[in-house]
Amino acid sequence: MDGLVLTLWLARLLFLAFLYVFLFAVVRVLLRDLRAASRGPVELGRLVVVASPRGEPVPGAVFPLDAVTTIGRDVNNGIVVDDPFASAEHAVLTFRGRVWYVEDLTSTNGTFVNGVQVPGISEIGFGDELQVGEIRLRLDRGHSS
Amino acid sequence: MSVAAQARPFAGARPRIRPRPRTTELGLLALVAVALVIGAATLGATQRLMAARIAGETLASLDFSPPDPTALVVYLGATGLVHVAFVMAGRRIDQVLLPAVAMLGGIGLLLMQRLPQDLVQQSFYGLVIGLGQLQLMWLLVAMAVIGVLALAVRSDAWLRNYKYTWAAAGIGLLLLTFVFGSDVNGARLTLSIGPVSGQPSELLKVILVVFLAAYLSENRSLLAEESTRIGPLRLPPVPYLAPMGAMWAIALGIVVVQRDLGAALLFFAVFLALLYVATGRPSYVAGGLVLFLAGSFVLYNVFGHVHQRVDNWLDPWADPSGAGFQTIQALYALGRGGLLGVGLGAGLPTIGGHLPIPAVHTDYPLAALGEELGLIGLLAILGLYLVVVERGLRIASAAHDDFRSLLAAGLALVMGIQAFIIAAGNLKLIPLTGITLPFISYGGSSLLANAIVVGLLLALSDRGAGAPAPPRNRRGLRTRLRGGDA
Repeated sequence: MDGLVLTLWLARLLFLAFLYVFLFAVVRVLLRDLRAASRGPVELGRLVVVASPRGEPVPGAVFPLDAVTTIGRDVNNGIVVDDPFASAEHAVLTFRGRVWYVEDLTSTNGTFVNGVQVPGISEIGFGDELQVGEIRLRLDRGHSS
Repeated sequence: MSVAAQARPFAGARPRIRPRPRTTELGLLALVAVALVIGAATLGATQRLMAARIAGETLASLDFSPPDPTALVVYLGATGLVHVAFVMAGRRIDQVLLPAVAMLGGIGLLLMQRLPQDLVQQSFYGLVIGLGQLQLMWLLVAMAVIGVLALAVRSDAWLRNYKYTWAAAGIGLLLLTFVFGSDVNGARLTLSIGPVSGQPSELLKVILVVFLAAYLSENRSLLAEESTRIGPLRLPPVPYLAPMGAMWAIALGIVVVQRDLGAALLFFAVFLALLYVATGRPSYVAGGLVLFLAGSFVLYNVFGHVHQRVDNWLDPWADPSGAGFQTIQALYALGRGGLLGVGLGAGLPTIGGHLPIPAVHTDYPLAALGEELGLIGLLAILGLYLVVVERGLRIASAAHDDFRSLLAAGLALVMGIQAFIIAAGNLKLIPLTGITLPFISYGGSSLLANAIVVGLLLALSDRGAGAPAPPRNRRGLRTRLRGGDA
């Protein structure tokens, strides 16, 4: 084979090789990212306080959620809301399958999702707004890493 | 109300912008630059060798200078500028998408430089610009769009809250194309307004994803319900099935009226994919596929252009010099390429003064790349699209709420599905439909629309603390926060 053609052939292979070097570098980054995400503590979701007229809890406060989290005025709740319009055991959030559900525990003033009263149990999506008493909370996805 | 005032950390004092190094992105971009420079060098050397062979001369040594060094430098420089802008903005946005897209765009640029430059020509004030230069120009615009969108889009409220406005704009665009569009190859795709002409269906796919993400994130739980029963079939409440039917009708309408099979297929596939992502119900996808098959069957039997496309796919050798010409030439090109390819610049540029594949720069770039880079090169390119899709889905899984999540998934999938449809069409896996290969095909509208997709994905990937999802503006529930310091 002609020397020139051979050099050119090798240069072409070098180009293809570099395409794969790039691809492997990218895949390594992706793998590292996925491993870090799976190692990190699993946070199923979080409630962010959007508005609370009496300032307790403070707007902007973040409550990480367990698979079952109760909300109410009583101190034994997972999230304690100090609001005169909230019941002692107001509502409970449960994570089943891949979905969050909110259940109203027959509270006096009701539980609302996006301004609509919850009839018993209802699904609640990430980004939806939950109202307990006069306190509004937003359900957010937990930080994965 | 002093408590409410002090508790607004995200709206008030934003911390000062501090540059944040992005070493991963820089490293990957360096690899992109090296690979593209080597590719351009082999392209230049091959072209000179071929020219010398045709002239009957023998070369003493190989000249490895790229065919258009300034174009390559300008392109890499623009990519570097976007990187510097990201670093200076100090945002924690995705570090893989930009290099992956830069690699795809660079491969496209090399391909456009390698094809005959008079394939597409435009003259600006007497200055004639060929294919490679035009593609470079659009790539620069695309890079600018990516950079600006990634940094400027901080709130998604303008996408989320105006979903019906967006849908109306999309349908308006569709109607405008139908009324004022011009026919190219029997398909009414191009809309010209004054000196500007473009393909609205490219922009339409972005609008579709935005609308679907907003609609599905709002009605997700209702769609997942099963309240209507028709025999053994359990369906969601009928009013929420309407958009599914409407979507199907729009897709069919695009095929019938605009004769744009590719866009119809893309829209419907994205719709089904997002419906599945939002509800997690395979039965919807199955129902959609049944609708799709029924629609295709009717269209195949009623409309000549669909019939012709499918027949041409099943047996291109029935009319090898007419309808089946491109398909056959593409298959031969892939065959010539083999495993390692013949090398950039060494494929068949012209036969007797004509391109073997007339639409090689828009519809068949993968056939050309398959000839010159071989199976190995094609797999690498498909791998790059996979990387983009993976990143998009990862951004979706880390997003704060359902709208952002669905939007990111939809944007990634629209690009992946588009690449799949045209790649499969090129390889004669499915009937060829005239859509573009994202970031590789020549075309301003395509590059621009895909730049918007990537820019939005980057914006959505921002994991900085300062960007919470905006509260939903529900009637009567909102103004309390504002009372604090007003």
